[in-house]
Amino acid sequence: MTERRTAFGSPAASLWSKISASLPPDEGQFPLQFSDKVPLSVVEMLKRARQELYGGTTGAGRVLNAQVILDYSWERLNTGTWRHVDKEWRRVYSYGCLFKAAALCREAPSEEGIVQAIRTCDMGLLMGAAIMGNILQVIVCILQSEIRKLAKEEDDQDHVEAKKRKIASSHVGLIREELAVPRIKCPSLESFNANHLLPLKPVILEGIIDHWPALNKRPWRFVFSRSTRIQMNIVFLDEYLRSVAGCRTVPVEVGSRYTDEDWSQTLLTVNEFIDKYILNKGQVSENGHKAVGYLAQHQLFDQIPELKEDIRIPDYCCLGEGDEDDITVNAWFGPKGTVSPLHQDPQQNFLAQVVGSKYIRLYSPEDTEKLYPHESQLLHNTSQVEVENPDAERFPEFVKAAYLECVLKPGDLLFIPVKHWHYVRSLEVSFSVSFWWS
Amino acid sequence: MRWFGFGFNAFAQICVQEKSDKEESSSAVRVPTQLKNHVGRSKIRASWSRTASLFLDEDRRVRLAGFSASISGEPLGPAVLDTRGCEDAVISETHLTLAFPDRIESWDLQSKDEAPSWRTEIVHRSQSSDVHLPLVPGGYVASEPPIFRPLPSHLQAKSLALGGGHAILLTAAGAVYTWGQGSHGQLGHGGLIPEEEPRTVEALWGMSMRSVAAGGWHSVCIGDGGDLYVWGWNESGQLGLPSRGLRKTSQQKSDQQAGGLCGSVGTCPAEDPHEEVFISIQAFPALVDVSPTCEIRTVSCGSRHTAAVTTTGCLYTWGWGEYGQLGHQTPASLDEPQCVEFFRNENLHVVDVVCGPWNTFAAAVEKEVLDLKNVPESPL
Repeated sequence: MTERRTAFGSPAASLWSKISASLPPDEGQFPLQFSDKVPLSVVEMLKRARQELYGGTTGAGRVLNAQVILDYSWERLNTGTWRHVDKEWRRVYSYGCLFKAAALCREAPSEEGIVQAIRTCDMGLLMGAAIMGNILQVIVCILQSEIRKLAKEEDDQDHVEAKKRKIASSHVGLIREELAVPRIKCPSLESFNANHLLPLKPVILEGIIDHWPALNKRPWRFVFSRSTRIQMNIVFLDEYLRSVAGCRTVPVEVGSRYTDEDWSQTLLTVNEFIDKYILNKGQVSENGHKAVGYLAQHQLFDQIPELKEDIRIPDYCCLGEGDEDDITVNAWFGPKGTVSPLHQDPQQNFLAQVVGSKYIRLYSPEDTEKLYPHESQLLHNTSQVEVENPDAERFPEFVKAAYLECVLKPGDLLFIPVKHWHYVRSLEVSFSVSFWWS
Repeated sequence: MRWFGFGFNAFAQICVQEKSDKEESSSAVRVPTQLKNHVGRSKIRASWSRTASLFLDEDRRVRLAGFSASISGEPLGPAVLDTRGCEDAVISETHLTLAFPDRIESWDLQSKDEAPSWRTEIVHRSQSSDVHLPLVPGGYVASEPPIFRPLPSHLQAKSLALGGGHAILLTAAGAVYTWGQGSHGQLGHGGLIPEEEPRTVEALWGMSMRSVAAGGWHSVCIGDGGDLYVWGWNESGQLGLPSRGLRKTSQQKSDQQAGGLCGSVGTCPAEDPHEEVFISIQAFPALVDVSPTCEIRTVSCGSRHTAAVTTTGCLYTWGWGEYGQLGHQTPASLDEPQCVEFFRNENLHVVDVVCGPWNTFAAAVEKEVLDLKNVPESPL
């Protein structure tokens, strides 16, 4: 463990005093209000944990009480469908994460301990519900600064050169002119509204996201495609994401497509995800099957607010009826070969391409019957057809459905109208941002 | 007969522990500990934070231990709640249901009401044979409102086990029905969809079952020949089938996990060279070999663990072990049935087991006693 020196005396005290400052000053001002959905025995455990937070018991006891709260609420979160889980249990879970993270940081935590505390906060952010003014977000930011301080002292070299590696040249499929999604440069709000939003016609908007820091700042730079620059681009992206979010836990989809039997979701830190699925370090199966991992449909910018600075919500979203607060912003980060099966979403979508390129195909909702949606409730918005390898016997009408296609490259902003079927395959390491709005 | 408890004890529902330097010991009991006051025949029922004891040789009162009960386990509740003559009980986190010869009552443990939240008279003596809690005449009592739920009489229900979000019913003919949540294969119909009405487990058709049990997300039943069948979620090895999650934690430094997302359906292709097949969800009944030579006498499920007693008096446990509920004196979880050595070492013959969500209670008699008398009937 490297020795940490700060201006404020003992380093451990400094971390705890920052965390402590973000908490209510005393037990009396620490709220524990729950509906009667939460049994009194659970409230009792929460009160014990609160008492220990402000009292003087040893570390092991504190973590244990918090773990009981986490284990019990975890069971409630996994009972029934996620949609129907009472919000109170997600709150209880967040309290459990708070007590556990605080307990881990109380007494001279090692770097490992801080990383564990960050993971705990992330679990609360992912599965819990915001409590006490989103205190988990506040605490994770404090912890992240601490980790970055440690990282800075350990790692002074710029290893970018050493990490340049061979990336397969992106095989850009030939797009047929007559099927190409139309491209427009910087249309006015009125013309976009009249020509594309109201008639629900897909279009690629160019020049709109060029001003994003993500497409201009050093770490993300080199927008336009030349082979060496693409390589550098991706290397910079890896480095940047590691430095900003390396030890943060994110959900990762493993498997070729979410309709496959062996598809699953797992939790990894950003470091682990990049190592395993972007850089393909370590395990490469002998049977040649390299599992594809996709950091997909994740509200990364809510979890890591620093990244929000690098992107902007497209102005055209104001043409919708909803509030800006209701716009869902998702990150999509993965290696070459990630596939989102043909599906439709209930909102308008802007898909911004930041790094790398994606092959995208669009079908109109008028052709829904030719796309053979799954019968089940769960997958009703997903087509059964493998777009680039359709089974003509099972799905004879599919080949008759008209479509538009494109290769989305950095700087492009694709408008996918509501309910428009879309299929996406990444042609290389890719980072996209989607905006769901109404 | 003596009852031993081990596992979760944060509310002193197993025993009161002296405050020592090791704070950890107060939340969990690792070494099977004999329950006080249990002289003679008694039944145990356990919820997450409480234990209910029904003493059959006395005037049949119910005593509660655990959350908000007095330490000495005095007879339950305010003066109005007279539990004398009680024959059976079930307890959940919020309700205690008591069966008397002439009535069944369900009490809200969180309220100060002086009347039960649900009550039914048992009018005909023949009806009392229908009472095998949580089964009651005409249906069953659930752990949350609505307390009473009807069941079609044609099912001829013999016993019922209620899990975390599902139910498993055994009929007089030995058939098994399930209903409720199905998201983790706990209904045994081969899929993940919920069922609103009892649906027969077809995979067990033609085989007569004699006993059923339900955990948080898994189901277990014993066949007439003493075989054990399991299905549902295997995230902590509670099915006794290989669990990927357990291999990972045993390989890495075992962090205290804050919890995780649900696992995948079916089998995951393994990455290790042995190409082992891991089961995360078992959607159809599978046979589990608990002990190669012995028949299973009785089985009980906790939230994420399973405990089985063989006809030869061994207690086997497997599944989630974080709170010592497996009785092997470590917090390790297991995906293979393992004998609880404590009882063997003490020359005790286990005759019954009852699981709370995070703990386990085993009834045992001395082996010498056994040699002299017949094996006592296991009081259900």
